This record gives sequence, structure tokens and C-alpha cells, in this order.
Amino acid sequence: MPVLRFKAERLESLTGLSVSELEELLFRLKCETEKVEDYIEVEINPDRPDMYIGEGIARAVLGLTGARKGWKRPEKSRTWGTVHSEAPPSRPFIAAALVRNVNVDDVYLEELIQFQEKLHDTLGRRRRKAAIGIHDASKLPSRKIRYVEMNVNEAVFKPLGWEREAPAREVLEATEQGRKYGSIALRGDRHPFLLSGDTIIAMPPVINSEYTRVEPGTRDLFIDVTGVDEYTVLKVLDVIVGGLLERPGARLETLLVAAPGRDPFETPRYEPAVNTLSAKWASSVLGVEVDAPRIAELLAFMGHNAEAEGDTVNVSSPPYRVDILGPIDLVEDVAIAIGYDELGYTKPTVSEAGVLLWETAAARLLRDLALGLGFTEVMQLTLTSPSLLDAVGFRERVEVLNPVQQEYSVLRPSMIPSVISVLAFNQHRRKPVKVFEIGPVIEPGNPPRDRITMGMGILDNEVGYEDIQAAVYAILRVIGVDFTPRRAEVPGLLPGRTAELIHAGKRLAVLGEVDPEVLERLGIKYPVAVAEIDVEVLAEWSSRIQGPRTQSPSKK
Amino acid sequence: MSEYTLSRGEYEVLQRLAKAGFKEGTLEEAAEATGLDKSTLASLLRLLSEKGIVEIIDVREEKYAMTEKGKRVLREGAPEEKLARILAGTGGSAPVGEVRKLLGDEAGVAIGQARRLGIAEVSEGVVSLRLPPEEALEAAARVRKALEALARGSPPSGEELRLLLRRGLASKREEKKVLVRVRGDLREILSRARVEVGKLTHELLESGAWRRVSLRPYDVSAEPPLLLPARKHFLQEFIEMLRDIMRELGFVEVRGPIVEMELFNFDLLFQAQDHPAREIHDTLWIKEPRRASLEPYKELVERVAAVHERGWRYRWSPDIAARLLLRSQTTSVSARVLASRPKPPIRFYTVGRVYRSDVVDATHLPEFHQLDGIMGWPGYSFRDLLGLLREVASRLGLKLKLKPAYFPFTEPSVEGYVRLPNGRWLELFGAGMFRPEVLEAAGVDYPVGAWGFGVERLAAAYYGVPDIRLLYTRDVDRLRSFPARILRR
Repeated sequence: MPVLRFKAERLESLTGLSVSELEELLFRLKCETEKVEDYIEVEINPDRPDMYIGEGIARAVLGLTGARKGWKRPEKSRTWGTVHSEAPPSRPFIAAALVRNVNVDDVYLEELIQFQEKLHDTLGRRRRKAAIGIHDASKLPSRKIRYVEMNVNEAVFKPLGWEREAPAREVLEATEQGRKYGSIALRGDRHPFLLSGDTIIAMPPVINSEYTRVEPGTRDLFIDVTGVDEYTVLKVLDVIVGGLLERPGARLETLLVAAPGRDPFETPRYEPAVNTLSAKWASSVLGVEVDAPRIAELLAFMGHNAEAEGDTVNVSSPPYRVDILGPIDLVEDVAIAIGYDELGYTKPTVSEAGVLLWETAAARLLRDLALGLGFTEVMQLTLTSPSLLDAVGFRERVEVLNPVQQEYSVLRPSMIPSVISVLAFNQHRRKPVKVFEIGPVIEPGNPPRDRITMGMGILDNEVGYEDIQAAVYAILRVIGVDFTPRRAEVPGLLPGRTAELIHAGKRLAVLGEVDPEVLERLGIKYPVAVAEIDVEVLAEWSSRIQGPRTQSPSKK
Repeated sequence: MSEYTLSRGEYEVLQRLAKAGFKEGTLEEAAEATGLDKSTLASLLRLLSEKGIVEIIDVREEKYAMTEKGKRVLREGAPEEKLARILAGTGGSAPVGEVRKLLGDEAGVAIGQARRLGIAEVSEGVVSLRLPPEEALEAAARVRKALEALARGSPPSGEELRLLLRRGLASKREEKKVLVRVRGDLREILSRARVEVGKLTHELLESGAWRRVSLRPYDVSAEPPLLLPARKHFLQEFIEMLRDIMRELGFVEVRGPIVEMELFNFDLLFQAQDHPAREIHDTLWIKEPRRASLEPYKELVERVAAVHERGWRYRWSPDIAARLLLRSQTTSVSARVLASRPKPPIRFYTVGRVYRSDVVDATHLPEFHQLDGIMGWPGYSFRDLLGLLREVASRLGLKLKLKPAYFPFTEPSVEGYVRLPNGRWLELFGAGMFRPEVLEAAGVDYPVGAWGFGVERLAAAYYGVPDIRLLYTRDVDRLRSFPARILRR
């Protein structure tokens, strides 16, 4: 989740609230805060990018205190310039805006860069879906902006922070941004560029040019957003503009975008999201009676323009509120405005008893019985190391495509390797060492399937087939499930000293002595006998003989 | 009348001595009488002597034994005796040459001894008796007689003994001896003795001998031998406690696959296909097979596609939805339940393992448990959901604080924080009402509340385990000695 840093002093002066008041209000706005020296660090959910700048936080917080209601649609003054887009195939969409009187100073510049970066990471999907360029408008040579694709070996400009001009190819290779984002829009030798007149002012989504650098003292800002998804491009611009317009005296001017095959259109769109909310429906969702006028009032606190009309509320949400997808999102705003603690709650009533899965019930019984035989329960991850499975001899297994660590890169196909590895770890403990584990194993297949099984193991100075057989038989016999033993081959276990117990044609259990070859490979100096009981076969059997008491999700 | 407290071994010795009628004798004799080996018997007798029942006297004795030479003398007579016999037979004298011929090597010794004893003398190459033959034979037999006495077991003393020793006919060796004497009447002692034993045995009980025994008192301040009980795993116990709470609240347990399609893990939950959580550094996929068939879910897929394309304004890809991953949330199970369109009212929960692309450290595991529940019916409200969350927290003995939250698949959304005994707030639940998009995609027409939480972090806090990795320790002794709690639930 994005964490943003704001100068505490700035938030205090923007809101007139103390840090602790701010922290409390921000908590109600889904944020977690931490004061770190002069800064407040705020963890803001990705659904509220409009709060990624101080003015956005102030706007939201002051709504909750009642100091601000609704939002004001900016007067669309005039069209400042034009964008001729050739819709570069790798990144066809562009939108732009001009905001006057932003008046950038040191502190604001720092926040503005953070605003841009966090938008890149979230809505912009690390610049792939959309990326933002912010320029000092007064430094633009021309109001004729062009968005074109050019050859990176021919396009020459001075990238941000450089003292000389260089071919774009060099910029891609020599800058950190180039290495990180250079491949997003590159198409062979061609890449999108943004020009003002004939000057390259940006190479989206990689880097801006030095010519239009924003610095303390910059008054008016030109913003471009480019991307692969037009809706996102327009929304990101709305979010930025919505933040900048909160600056005192700020004024919006638009650009006329001309793109091939469509009528020219103005950006930013800055259109509100319009929804109609039924008070009755909202009340039923929340479980709290709220009438339409009250809802309208609460929504105003949350920064919407809302009017009650009978049972319905007509809502116009500001363009920067990208989280408002439909009426349900307004219901949440109503709940937040009321306060979750104020909503109250309904104590649950239980009319029908709950039911465990048969597997769970069987596992509980098995645990008690194993305990009675002196076995201690262990728990291991299903993610395990290929070397363990290789050592025991389980070749068939599900592998992780993108493991983080080699030792957690495959899934155990059986409980036997898990049990053996636990015994290996404990081989110098007082003997006998007796352990069991009940949990999922993942069987390879198409698709792979997890089963609940129980692994048991004994390590002792002297231990063998009969010892584990006695334990397994003791458990199965008291449960009363019938089975037939027969010789079996199981990876890691000694042929001739390994059996499987068959119930109704299914393998209920396997048991046997671990092959000394395996013991030696794992550095185990004591004999080991193991077993694996299929809890699902047992569960199936008990559900069959006892009848379905469980309510499985039944079809309507 | 004093009572004797005897160990089982001591009692047995006395019993055997009494049976053999032993009163006094050497240790060897006592061993023979009792049929016990000497060293066992000796240590038991020492213990009995400390109790004043027997007396043990250590005796040093000089023992004389005949040498090989002495045995020959005993058989054949001493050389001087042989000489005296010869001379008696030759009328009192014989030339030295003759004597040498008859006595060989012994001739010198014979003549020398005979002279020393005053039996014979040598003069001018002739050996002659100085005594009448009867007397001479008598005097020459002195050594043999001493040897005969030794052979009889009554060794000679004084001059005789010294003579034997000097002449190498007998050897001396010192012998230690233990004499055992019973003080008093054994039968009476036995009748007054109580046998002390460490443990009651089957034998004692069966023979009734337990009446005559006394059980040795213990030093109760001493530590016993270390014993560790076989145990259930505390994390599993915690999970079972959660299951009990869910059952009490009327929830039906369900299960879903660990290797899951993105369709149920993400798409049905209205998570856009380019959502950051679906990226490579958050989610684990499997190598083989990469995809599962969407065929069984045709209608569902159609609805999911429609909802995504309307809501997220992009081209939804069935190929992505078909990919197989290790489920990143147990909400995938809730999604499956929802897609089965169960008849309301519904109360389902699942608890199982989920997987994340995380490096193992004190607060992260690549695999952990989540508990996920859903609940709904016509008219079900957010307030109902909050009531359930409060109830679950209170049954865990925790106080709940609510915070608005964001999840892609719920609206309104809420996070439940609980205050831990150490005063810290821990994020417990993520919860909310399933978004209309989710319900529409699943084909469900009544409101459903959903909630879930990670088990390990809560369990670690609950048990005061500082490092989440310790929950999965392989150390059996650690598991067996893990502190147990008495809980009323």
C-alpha cells in the first residue's frame, strides 16, 4: 500500500488541525499514520489517489469536520493550446491540461514529485498504463504540442538533469529511468515523444526534458498524461488537476486534442461521476435507517454534491474520486461519514448449529489417537525443497513457476518426506522420537489436487515395520474402518518392508521402513519407520456410513 | 523391642543365613551357605553390620605352603634322611664316593645337613654315623615330620618352621580373611525386621510380602527425571479453536483447492487483470500445467467477463483467468461457494493455507493460514457483518476497533483491529459486503458479507511468540515443552 510523506507543518496549516486530530480523522478515511520527525507518514489506500497530495488530504479531512461541503466545478476558461497526436502505436493516448497560479515552492515541489510518482505506481501501473509529465508552462516554446513517434537514434534532446543534448538512444541507455522504463513504449528504434513546437519536451513514459523543468518559483504548470488506456489517462489527469486546483487562485485551462480518426476533444475532461442513490437501498445495505436528506448531507461532507429528491439522492461526485464506480461506493462514503463505530451492530443469532468438514472431524479424532500412542504433532509448510524430495525419491511433484527461495520451490506430494525431515532434525533427542502431522499434500495432475493426509514417523535405536504397523493398526482398528494389507512400493521405503492398506479399492494408508540409502543421504543415523494415512478416504468412509449430516453448499 | 529396617537384599541374606544355620564363619563360608556371590554378599553384610545385626572381623593370617622341593622331601624323605638310611644299612659308614654314587646331586646337601645335625661325620673319605642307627634315623626324619605336619594342616612352629623356610621347603604368604558372626538369634531378628523397598512390585503384592515391607521415603525436594508429554501442535490447536468459534456461530465448514484458477482467486472477486496484486512479485504460479480448462464454468466466465469489461473498461482475457496459481487468499474458496449459488441464508467458512511471494523473515512466510467466511440472505446488512466481527473478536477475548478500508471486492469495506494483551493494536479482519459486481458475476441476488484474516500473526500474538517462523519449528522438544494454557472455551 502506498505510503506518502507530508510535512506536518504543511498539513497543519492546510487544515488548521493538530497532528493528533489529523491522525484520528485520517484513520476514519482508511489511512494509517505515523509521525516521523517533521513529517507525517500516511498509508493511503490505492482507491484514493486524490489524497496523494497535501491539498487532497485537507479536502477529505475538512469534509469530515464539516468545514467543507461538496465540491466546486471549475470554470472552464479558455483553451490554452493544441495537442496534435499521431497516436504512437505503443502508447496511443494523451491528455493534457494547464493549471495557472500553482506557485511552486520547495516544500510543494517535493510533494508534487511524490504525487506524480505514487500515481505512476498505482493508477499508472508503474508507468505502463499511464504516465505523467509536469512542465513549467512558461518555458514551453510553443502552444502547439505534438505527440509523435520518432527514431531514438535521430531524436535529440536534453533530458532532465543533463547539461547537454543527447540522442534518445543514449538517454535510454545512460539514465536510470531509461533502463527502468525504456522498454515500455519502445517499438524497434521508435519511441513516442512530446514536442512543443520543434523542441522535445518529454520522452514519455521515460523522462522529461531539462528545458521545461519545474522549480521553486514556477507559477503555471503544463501537465501531460500518456498511456495505453484512454480512460485511465483521462482519470489520472483529472486526479492531478483536482489536486492542483486546490492551490489558492489556481485556474484551469484546457487543451484541444486532435487524434487521427476522431473529432478533436478538450482535456481535461473533468466530468463528474453522476449516480442516483436510493435511500431505502442504502439503508438496507448498511442496516441503519438513513433518509434521503440525511444521505445528501453526509455525502456533502464526503465531498460530493448531492440533492435529495423523494427517496432518492442525486449525486455528482468530483472527477478526481476514481473510487466511485457506482452507488455502492457512495453507500460506503455514507457509512464513513456516519462513522463505523456509530453504525452500531446486530448481534448474530444462531438458529442452526454449524458443521465441520468430515476431514476436519476425522483429523481431530486422528490427532487424539496419535497423541494417545505418544506421537507429538508437528506442522510444516507444504512448500519444500527439491533436494529433500530428491533425497527421499519423490520425483513427481508440483513446482512453483516463480519461487522466491529454492528451499520453498516445490510442493510436497506426500507427508512422508516432511515427517522424515522432522525426524532427521530430532535424531539426537531422547528416543524414541515419534511425530505426526496432518495437513495438505499436493498431488501432481491436471490440475494438481490437494489432499489431507496424516504422516506418522518413529525414529529409534531399533525400529521397524512392526512398530509403525502396530501404531497404524491401533488407530484404524479403534476407528473401525476395514482394510486389506498388501505389499507396496513407495518412494523412499524399503521394498519387502512396505505395505499399503486398501479400503474399498482405495489406498487408505501406506507404511514401511525407510530405505537406509535414504537415511544415509539425509544424514540420519537411526532407523526410521513411517506411515501415511489418507484422511480423505477415512472422511469419505465415515460420511458414507453415517449419512450426510453436513450442509454442503446446495444449489438454488 | 527394636525393629530392624532392612532392604530387600539385606533381608534375603539374613533369610538364607538362617536357613543354612550359619552363626559364624568366613565370608567364603557365608557365601557358600547363602548361595550368593562374594562381592554382593560382602556389601550387604557391611550394611547389616552398620545396623548391628552381624559383626564383621577382618583377620590377617599367615599361611604356609609346601614348595615343590618340600613335596619331594615329603615323598622321598630329606637327603640327610636318605643318607642315614644308607649308612644304617652299611653298618654305620660308607666311603664318600659310594655315597655320591647313591645320592647323586643330593649327596652334598645330605652330608652337609647330616653333619650340621650331628648325625654323621666325614673323615678320610669316609662318612660315618655318630649316633646309633635308631637315633640317627629319628634325628634325620625331623624335616620330613615337620612337612607331614604342614601337609596335615597344622603347620609346625618355631625352629621347625624356620628350618623349612630356610631350606626352601615351605613358603609363607599372608592371607586376609573376613569373619562373619551373627549377633543374636537370626530367626528372631528376621521376625522383627521390616523390609524396605523402593517400589511396590507385582511380586510383593502377589506374595503378600508387601505387609512386611516398608516403602522407602523420598527426598521430596529432589527433581524427578525430565519427561515431556506428547502434544498437539499449538498452532493447530489455535486453528481448532477458531473452528469451534465458527461452529458455535452456526457456520458450515467448506474447502477449496490450493492450486486454484485465477478465475476464483481474482477475477470473480472483481480484481482487475492488471491489478498490482496479480503481479509476479506477489503471487506464486505453478509450472505445470500453466492453465486449467474454463469449460466447466462457461456461464460464470461470461458473467465475469461482462462485469470486468463494464467496470474496468478493458478487454478481459479468459487466458489469464485460466492460469493456475497457489491461491493467495482463501477468499477464493468463498468465491467458489458463491459461484455455486447456494440457497440463502448462508453461513460458510474455510480455513486453509495461502501462498505469497514473500521471503521468509520474522513476520513473513511464503505460506500461511487464512480463515475466510461468508454470510448472507435477503436483507443482510453491513451492521450484521459488524455484529459478527465483534462476536468473533469477543469470543477470542479481544476488543475490536473498526476502520474503513479498501478491498477490490467489497464495499463498504472494514478492517478490524484488536488490542493485544501487550497494548498493541493488531489488524485482525479484513471484511466487507461483496460488491454488486462480485454478486452479479457469481449469479447471487442477495447481499453477502465476507471477512477473513491471517491466522499465524494472530496466533503468534496470542501465544506471545516473537518470531512467526517459530510456529513451524521442527524441534520436537520445543513443541513438547511449549507452555500449555487452561482455557474455558
